[in-house]
Amino acid sequence: MPSIAFQFSPADASAFSRRVAKISGQNIQACYQCRRCTAGCPAVGDEGNFSPDMLIRLVNLGDKSAAINNEMVWKCVTCYTCGTRCPNNIHTSRIVDTLKKMVKESGVEPLQPNIAYFHSSFLESGVRWGRVNEAEFMGVYEMKNILHLAKQKKFKEIYDEIFQLSQFVLRVFKQGRMHFGFLTSKGHKEIKRLKRQHQTSSKV
Amino acid sequence: MDIAYYPGCSLKQSSALYDLQTKKVFSKLDINLKEIEDWNCCGATSASKTDDFLSIAMPARNIGIAESAGFSEIVIPCSACYAKTLVAKEKLNNDSELKSEINSGFAKKIQGNLKVSTILEVLLASIEAGSLSNKLEKKYEGLKPVCYYGCMMTRFAYDVPSPDDVENPQGMEKVLKKIGLHPVDWNFKTVCCGASASMNDAGASFALMAKIMKDAVARGANCFVVTCPMCQMNLDAYQDEFCSQNNITQRLPVFFITELLGLALGMSIKDLQIDRHFVESTSILNLQDKVVKERDTNE
Repeated sequence: MPSIAFQFSPADASAFSRRVAKISGQNIQACYQCRRCTAGCPAVGDEGNFSPDMLIRLVNLGDKSAAINNEMVWKCVTCYTCGTRCPNNIHTSRIVDTLKKMVKESGVEPLQPNIAYFHSSFLESGVRWGRVNEAEFMGVYEMKNILHLAKQKKFKEIYDEIFQLSQFVLRVFKQGRMHFGFLTSKGHKEIKRLKRQHQTSSKV
Repeated sequence: MDIAYYPGCSLKQSSALYDLQTKKVFSKLDINLKEIEDWNCCGATSASKTDDFLSIAMPARNIGIAESAGFSEIVIPCSACYAKTLVAKEKLNNDSELKSEINSGFAKKIQGNLKVSTILEVLLASIEAGSLSNKLEKKYEGLKPVCYYGCMMTRFAYDVPSPDDVENPQGMEKVLKKIGLHPVDWNFKTVCCGASASMNDAGASFALMAKIMKDAVARGANCFVVTCPMCQMNLDAYQDEFCSQNNITQRLPVFFITELLGLALGMSIKDLQIDRHFVESTSILNLQDKVVKERDTNE
């Protein structure tokens, strides 16, 4: 396993760690590296050099760049096992969520952009219509994903993506699991208005 | 008994069969599901990864709608919708400032007294009160299910009381025992299937499902039983792929709990639309007429 040289600067450490703690609502400083989170984490596999405890350590060391570029941020499957087993009640998934938002805010490219596209497309569909329309949301997600791959000239990946997707869609169609109507809720107006109101008030 | 019902987006689309089965089974057990008016998407896990405010505000609106209509309890079959709604309610009860901010924007105000229930909590309470008595028409021959709960029925990224044991839930086992089934004990009841990753990180999700599948097969189970539409879709629609990639020759049907209940209550495979599964699921269903005898109500 290759070792990572962590950057530690005491002054930045406390500021960054406090900020992550505040946004995530987690008492990160209470972590004493017992690694129960990692023992139960399904995303930690045989390969890769990431784990929930390591991510917390990075945050506490104040290495923002290493933290937001850590694989754990994108490999987390949001199963919440870490949080339910932590003796200090730290929900690492909330830290992961916070770092995802910090990636966006810092303007750096996510380690796995398609995962970011997936979740933003889902939420946008839910807010746009009041309900998520599976076909529309998937279409928007795949479009963002394929455009990004095209910019990098990854044509083999685009072919694979379209092939996989069409096979899946065909199966869903054949089993009668495709839905052809369009779902909406009038609530989307209320939700959008409330969100705007929230943004204005939190800027003050 | 009237109870508010939140189906969520999945039950109105790719898992429409689960919506239909839930309504049929509940009506047979004399529980009236009242779908709340103009409900919206709960935001699911995507909202908490993208926008903390919306991840509370979206499910909060549904709570307000149910409470304004006079309901004291809401049942949410989808685990993701259930978890998000439960957490939103709990967070708002602990944060009066956020609650009044959200209430200022919604026509239907949130009180915070609504009981948010899983499908299992409602089924169990009803069955334990005797709602099944004299209604069971069929019994199963040779069915060996493992109960798969997934993540979001018992685990939350916030301190809320879990509706069942966090690591070893028993709700599904209890329900299945009431219809004469004997679920097989196993190790992967609450291990994540990676449903949120199957579209964007298939390798990761398939590896997780292969582990789940291998344990189920090793225990001698011949089907899964689930309550979450995300788990059902994931384990069912991708089973051929993740099994062939991992040298697993067996294929196991993934049943919703409402399917096994519905069949025992005398409904047909067509009634319940069990033929809409991806893995062939009907040949294993060997149903016998239940010999009707004087029932011991204490049983």
